[in-house]
Amino acid sequence: MEGWCCMKLRRWGAGLLIGSYLLLLSWGIVGHALKIPSAGNTLGYFVVWDMFCGWQAFDNRTHFIAEDSAGNYYRVREPWGAFQPFGHVDRVNYDVSNNLAPRHIRNVLTHTDHPPIDRVYVVQEIWPKQFNVPDRLWSSYFHEPKDQQSYFNLRAICAADGTLIESNPDWYVAQGLKSIADNPRLRTQAQGASPFYNTFFNPRMAVETNSSFSSSDGGLSN
Amino acid sequence: MSMKKSVKSLFSAVEQFFFAEEAPYGLALVRMCLPVVALIPMCRRFFRVRELYSADGCPQQLAELFGDGRLLPELPGELAAGLYGVMLFALLCGVFGFRTRLSFLTGAALYIYFNMLDAIGTMTKYSVIAAHVLVILAISDCGAVWSVDAVLKRRASRGGMAALPVRVPVWPARLIQILFAAIYFGSAITKVQTPEFFSGEQMRYWLVSNWNWPNPIGEMMALSPPVLMSSSYITVVWEVTFPFLVWRRLGRFAALGLGVVFHLMTIFSLGLWIFPFICTMCYLAFLNEGDIAAIRVLLGRLRLAWLGHPRVLAATLFERRPVMVPLAGIWVAAGLVVAVGSVEADYRLDVYGIRGNGAPLALPAMDTAEARQMINSQQPLREKDKFFSFDIGSMVMAGQLANRRQQFEAGDVVIAQCNLNPPHEDLWVECVIQDEEDRVIDVAGQFVTRDQLFAKFSYMTADKLVPGRYWVVLKSSGQEVSRRPFELMGDGLPEASSGGVLAN
Repeated sequence: MEGWCCMKLRRWGAGLLIGSYLLLLSWGIVGHALKIPSAGNTLGYFVVWDMFCGWQAFDNRTHFIAEDSAGNYYRVREPWGAFQPFGHVDRVNYDVSNNLAPRHIRNVLTHTDHPPIDRVYVVQEIWPKQFNVPDRLWSSYFHEPKDQQSYFNLRAICAADGTLIESNPDWYVAQGLKSIADNPRLRTQAQGASPFYNTFFNPRMAVETNSSFSSSDGGLSN
Repeated sequence: MSMKKSVKSLFSAVEQFFFAEEAPYGLALVRMCLPVVALIPMCRRFFRVRELYSADGCPQQLAELFGDGRLLPELPGELAAGLYGVMLFALLCGVFGFRTRLSFLTGAALYIYFNMLDAIGTMTKYSVIAAHVLVILAISDCGAVWSVDAVLKRRASRGGMAALPVRVPVWPARLIQILFAAIYFGSAITKVQTPEFFSGEQMRYWLVSNWNWPNPIGEMMALSPPVLMSSSYITVVWEVTFPFLVWRRLGRFAALGLGVVFHLMTIFSLGLWIFPFICTMCYLAFLNEGDIAAIRVLLGRLRLAWLGHPRVLAATLFERRPVMVPLAGIWVAAGLVVAVGSVEADYRLDVYGIRGNGAPLALPAMDTAEARQMINSQQPLREKDKFFSFDIGSMVMAGQLANRRQQFEAGDVVIAQCNLNPPHEDLWVECVIQDEEDRVIDVAGQFVTRDQLFAKFSYMTADKLVPGRYWVVLKSSGQEVSRRPFELMGDGLPEASSGGVLAN
């Protein structure tokens, strides 16, 4: 009788576990399909299958350039050898959102010998991806000479401890913004309708101070 | 009454699906193969534990990427190295089936911990898949056959009933199977949400990215739009139908066979090495008792009995331990030895080179002119860098040029297509037909808006051209970007049509 009960309990436990696991997997699929924000968190990463969701036509690498007070420049790259996790590209380049930059700077500068550093420039290097094609394929497919040119974009400026001092748009975002700003009509409209914070009129403050909107200054104050 | 009967039959089918009893050979194979593959990248990282996973390095937690802060503790270098060694040890014990459950419980927890600590250079979707399966293995009876534990148990029961293979409910194997159905279905949804996947652009740019290991076949595929477009449709159809085929008698051979081909292709096309093997090793969970019996018959002549010798030998050694020492004690003691060894290895590896050099290594200096050029560069994008390629041909597939030709018959339509690299601004693109002496014959232009990834021009040769050699020249913002030669074959003058000569 005891064994039978134990078996039943095990069966129920397994059923509960199976049910929970299926619910979790379903939540990932439905959340991802309908783009529900609750699936876009740390736990969601384990149940959302968004392999190869993004792509870019330009390849990029990130360079860290340190400048000391004498105006000398240094490459903030691990002198002990950068770790290349998935191929022949340094780990720091897989950080598309630039989250790792401050810690990378701090780690390299802490473990290396160098004069006091004033600031560290985070520079994106960009080039069109067709130039990644090997030379033999290039000559058979493309008719033009392979004259690759890199573009550089100052992404951020950090202090020696990695603290962010200045941040600029990503090259891809900057290109998009430039193409929109290239429209004279939009530019004029944007200039004529600049967003601003109203420091004169604040409805909540007006309610709190006067307990009604029928105050003498109507919520307007200097 | 009939409704009640059908509900009851559904419940019994579900119960049969999850709780039918079988010898867990499939799971045992997953237990032996998956951790070996998952350990390959983790062993590479053993030499960088301090840098990647400790407070003395620069880990980037997965939770930080989602704005959830640092959820996990970042340990001192020595402690991280010790725990990392324990993880490798535990997963290795899992492979041999020694204290299987304890091994996978420890190994899976540490595997997930270290992966979540380094979201940039360790955590990928294959580690997520491996994490799921390791957790399932931890709660399953995967060590009931083909393991040190099984040999010890069989000997302890002195041959009796334990000589027969253990039969356990199949639900852990089913969970792995359902996981894969969900993975493929979910990734099909991702692809459906990406129109550029079907038109080939997404795969083209992935195939010419050098973010993984070399992928020579992928680079060739990238330059063949018909291959990209057809393979993208085949992939999505397979992914969507996978859950509906894989539990059918014949369908599963098609679903799993295509899966193996698909994953192996990603080695050569995308340069992925671990991902395909993680997935194909998990396919072993789809093997049932019947499959194992058939495989045994097939492999009977290969004399593979020696494969079982290590576990038998290990079991014999463990049997000679003093009676008062429990097996778990041996496991813990060995784990401690490995942990101490890992701390020592971390010390000797001296990842930052400070002890070996006697001082911190010097930061490499950089040429001032080069540094300033990189920092202050404001160079606008060259016109030709806004274009990926320019081709001429005669056949269209899914709205895109599907072939490349340089010879046309009089009367043929020459189709010219340029592929653009986004992001680009709205462009005015022209296509110019010139003869051998660069005399302009026809010009057509069109706006190419910022959302467009390609633009096509069709030219009817019957209208003006006589047999001879010509150029199709692509211009953007008035600048020549590219040109392609073509030869118009034929004997005499074809009949001219009354329609327009150039059309977009």
